[in-house]
Amino acid sequence: MNSQHEMAARAAQKFGAATIPSDDPDLDQEGRRWGMVVDADLCTGCQACVVACQSENNLALNEEQRVLEGRAKAWIRIERYWEGEFPNAKARYLPVMCQHCGNAPCEPVCPVWATYRNPEGLNVQVYNRCIGTRFCANGCPYSVRYFNWWNPEWPDPMNDMLNPDVTVRTKGIIEKCTFCVQRIQRAKRDAVQQGVELADGDVSPACVQSCPTNALVFGDLNDENSKVSQLAESERSFTLLENFGTDPSVVYLSKVDPFAEPHEEEGH
Amino acid sequence: MESIRALLPRLTLRQLVVLSGIGVVLGAGGIATAAVLIFLGARGGTLRPAPEQPIAFDHARHAGELGIPCEFCHRGVETQAAATIPSLEQCMFCHAVVGKENPEVQLLAAHWEEGRAVDWVRVHRLPDHVRFVHEAHILAGLECSTCHGEVPTMKVVKQVENLNMGMCMACHREMSASLDCATCHK
Repeated sequence: MNSQHEMAARAAQKFGAATIPSDDPDLDQEGRRWGMVVDADLCTGCQACVVACQSENNLALNEEQRVLEGRAKAWIRIERYWEGEFPNAKARYLPVMCQHCGNAPCEPVCPVWATYRNPEGLNVQVYNRCIGTRFCANGCPYSVRYFNWWNPEWPDPMNDMLNPDVTVRTKGIIEKCTFCVQRIQRAKRDAVQQGVELADGDVSPACVQSCPTNALVFGDLNDENSKVSQLAESERSFTLLENFGTDPSVVYLSKVDPFAEPHEEEGH
Repeated sequence: MESIRALLPRLTLRQLVVLSGIGVVLGAGGIATAAVLIFLGARGGTLRPAPEQPIAFDHARHAGELGIPCEFCHRGVETQAAATIPSLEQCMFCHAVVGKENPEVQLLAAHWEEGRAVDWVRVHRLPDHVRFVHEAHILAGLECSTCHGEVPTMKVVKQVENLNMGMCMACHREMSASLDCATCHK
């Protein structure tokens, strides 16, 4: 436990530890914890995940004006960084979606309990309960919560092609990545129907399914044998804004530079 | 007595009249609201009346007298989220031969010959933010009548339960089913 984590724990005690669900050891140890591993070394920044997410989760099209206003919505976005100086500059890509934090800053600030951590480690947004205070979006250090400033509209015939498993969010509420909870529920029902246990790899969110380089891997972080938990053990692994103590469920694997000097290969 | 009087606010006659006027208006409003609620309760709640269907399909005849099980026509009920309305083709399995003298069956046959679907009016509808899955409930051993009432006795199908969240939660608590929001809300 680092000092930041201790500070967070102390703050939690001071301001009501019950609001920090990850302090409850039962929650994270028992049962599943859905998580994702993003291999930055494999990501080519192609945006296939962004498009897949947009169509799976009924996100309206982001018009240019909305983007300029800073009010565009994309549950997963590719953050691009430049590394080095021209002519040796390298583009680095980092897909950023809701980190489904174990110690989420968005949860305790919601006055109506519209967002909470569910027993499977998902940070759930209950749309019909949200009243749109936007406290959670302000609290999120990853800026992955999006406010609906307008009712969504789709050009004909896209308005007839919405996913029936995902609700259309109306004006005035917050929305965010759900790890495609509708697919998780479907996979669980299919497992019950076939009388089998849910196996590793049975659930794949739209972004994971669409990734051409398999840079995204989804699964149960609490299952030692799952692909995600093994990848998360890698020495290349890191989480975003680690020093905030948010305990994210999304683990990143750092870029490997084949042309780097040998002594620079360590770390990230 | 004097001491209690000293605690009460001193009102002029004018203030007293205004205040009692407000009191009368609020009281009358309360009584009117109660009356409306009692009236609605006596009428069977705020449930909509049975909608008029394009073809007068008789559930009492099919599911009651003939004893056809629900899932014979509503085939999705054990395998998917929606119980599904049977296709016209499925009606015609029987009605190509059976009941051809009935004017409603003739109407059905006309749809079949013209190759257009019947625009059935939906009776039970849940809000868009609810993910209700028939399959899970039927596999858990629930009867259709738990939510839909005694359809085999209904000539015209009507919604009998209010199907609000309280009803879902009460049953989920009783049956120790999942109480996680993400199970049912999408």
